[in-house]
Amino acid sequence: MNAAPEPFLLLEPEAAPRLEAVPALLPTAEPVRWLRSPTLAGAAILGIGIPVLWALWLVSALFDRWGTLGWAGLAILVCGIGLICVGIGRELRGLSALRRVDQLRVEFASGEAERVQRAARRWLQGLPQHSEILPALAAADTPEAVLALLRSGPSQALQDATEVLGRTAALQSVAIVAATPLPAMDVLTVGWCGVRLIRQVAALHGMRPGVMGTLSLLQKTALAAATVAATEIAVNAATHAMVSHPLLRHLAGDVAGAGVAARRMIVLARAAAVACSPILRG
Amino acid sequence: MVATILSAGRLATDMLQLRRTIRIGITGLARAGKTALLTSLAANLLAVSAGRPALPAVSDQLRGRRLRVSIAPAAASNIPRFDVASHVAALAADPPRWPARTTAVSMLALDVDVPREGLLAPLGPQRRRLEFLDYPGEWLLDLPLLGQSFADWSEMTLRRLETLNSSEIARPFLGFVRGLPLGVQADEALTLTGHRLYAELLRRMRDEAGLAFLQPGRFLMPPPGAPPPWTEFFPLPGRSPLADLMQVRFNAYADAVRRDLMSPMFGDLDGLVVLADLLSALHQGPASFADARSALAAAADALRWDRSWTDWLAAFARLKLPPQAIRRVAFAATKADHIAARQRGNLIALMRRLTHVPDGSAKSAVFAIASVRCTEDVVETLAGRPVSAVRGRIIGEPRPARYYPGEVPDGVPDDLFWQHRFLALPDFEPMRLPEAGRGGIPQLGLDALIAFLLTEILG
Repeated sequence: MNAAPEPFLLLEPEAAPRLEAVPALLPTAEPVRWLRSPTLAGAAILGIGIPVLWALWLVSALFDRWGTLGWAGLAILVCGIGLICVGIGRELRGLSALRRVDQLRVEFASGEAERVQRAARRWLQGLPQHSEILPALAAADTPEAVLALLRSGPSQALQDATEVLGRTAALQSVAIVAATPLPAMDVLTVGWCGVRLIRQVAALHGMRPGVMGTLSLLQKTALAAATVAATEIAVNAATHAMVSHPLLRHLAGDVAGAGVAARRMIVLARAAAVACSPILRG
Repeated sequence: MVATILSAGRLATDMLQLRRTIRIGITGLARAGKTALLTSLAANLLAVSAGRPALPAVSDQLRGRRLRVSIAPAAASNIPRFDVASHVAALAADPPRWPARTTAVSMLALDVDVPREGLLAPLGPQRRRLEFLDYPGEWLLDLPLLGQSFADWSEMTLRRLETLNSSEIARPFLGFVRGLPLGVQADEALTLTGHRLYAELLRRMRDEAGLAFLQPGRFLMPPPGAPPPWTEFFPLPGRSPLADLMQVRFNAYADAVRRDLMSPMFGDLDGLVVLADLLSALHQGPASFADARSALAAAADALRWDRSWTDWLAAFARLKLPPQAIRRVAFAATKADHIAARQRGNLIALMRRLTHVPDGSAKSAVFAIASVRCTEDVVETLAGRPVSAVRGRIIGEPRPARYYPGEVPDGVPDDLFWQHRFLALPDFEPMRLPEAGRGGIPQLGLDALIAFLLTEILG
């Protein structure tokens, strides 16, 4: 039978640095990377390559026919491609603005006073109308104080402005649904109203999303909508108060779904604001 | 049926958010690790809130939901705030420093937002305030004084002093008390002498005999500021003007304990953590071990474990909810990172044998934890045999040490165990804190303890 080992305390011969914990890893899902899809890549190459080749062939043929005609064709081609590049540049800028929101969130959550302070200044650069809090921001020396300032200042103002946009869009959607002669057109008009609202909220937060940016923003808004679902209850009460106006009540009563559309606009505005703001609220 | 009604009541309370504040009491004798536990708990919950994987068991319970935690504003409370930042900074410093002895009460309050699940999700996250109290461990043993009269306490204390193994320590005080004449007058000089001898006796019992069941606690760890006159008394049996004066001061002391410690925290607890440094007690010997055991039992018995009908009546008269009975109790043996991984099961078994929960509805669980982890598990080869041990750096020593204190018994130690030595626990330095504490504090078993305590709010 084995005896229990004797107690011991042995010093190692060599000095060693302070121990570090092995970081725990939380399981994360592998993100789907569409750009790595060969099908999409092939379609993109064909979609861009064939028209470019065709345009070059056309310009070359024009030069063969008559020099002046060739130069005119080339100028039109360069002008068109230039405008497309400008558009792509705007799209990229819009997308990077959306990505910056995520970066700012990470920096705000870092807990490092200097990093949080820098991130706050960077965010306020895109919101010059709120620069009056910069002196107070400079005096705030803890991350908690900086975040509290941002929450009670710009973030609160943006939230209030978002509410106004949401209520306005809600009224418009009630009017649109009431005035649309064909029920099938409700979807289109209310959908257009929703996209416009999302772009307005994004502009309020200092962003100018293009087509791709808007699509990305729609995706983020859909994700944010889950967290904003809680506001549905409050929104119900707000919508009820709003459509209790005699005229609106008449219209909404006549048109099934007008109240629902109005409520969705308010929720949509709040979800878009959550997607666009780097400051998370409880 | 009763369980169904209770759970329905809790669900309704939860939905209506009638009870937003969760109070968790931390009981532990001096140097049991209360301050380290609170520091690690706060830093790790804040790290989880920032998306760091600091508490895996809590993350498992959240099932992908994002917990949001912040230090709650102090409002108009007259209890000082627990200074998380300075404690974390001390542990993150190079070289690191352990928190100093706690000399006064402080409150740690955290606001926790937990997203709901399922059908309740549209209601939004539920916000709860978690409150913990840090206080000198010596003061914990003042709680049993509240249920005792001065005569009973004096009788019990003197009987215990007479049966003390190291009777040499108690001789000066016992000689003084037994030598007082019958019907002795209330004289300030006698009071001061008796108090000085008794306070000195308590100090020697702690420092020389390694005992823990020492009352009153403020004699060993006085609060900051000038001591009021009612803190100067000593156990004195019989009836005399001096005994009457001691009784008046004892009652004033008990009122202060009720006002400063019992009412703000221990009077209305939802959960309780009982910390015990069993490993140090194993090293100090059988008398110290038995003493620590009875001290913890006395402190636990002083708490409110169930509601009586008088509580309901009193609450009804004040138009308030009745005081909460303790619902969850976590018994935790601390410094579990000082023993090998294979011995931690024994430490949990030992803790389980030493503790009990009074009959009632409280759920209990036993843990072996290290709030601030200092070591890593290694296998050492001795005489050709593999021995499971731990490796860490002792404070002030650049060379790491490999350490095995001896076998931890899985039940109350018998005489055979006390014949062998159990090594003293060295002062290991904490592991490096990831991101200087913003990534949490390395811990062992604390995540499971927090997940257990917060089961009802984490869902």
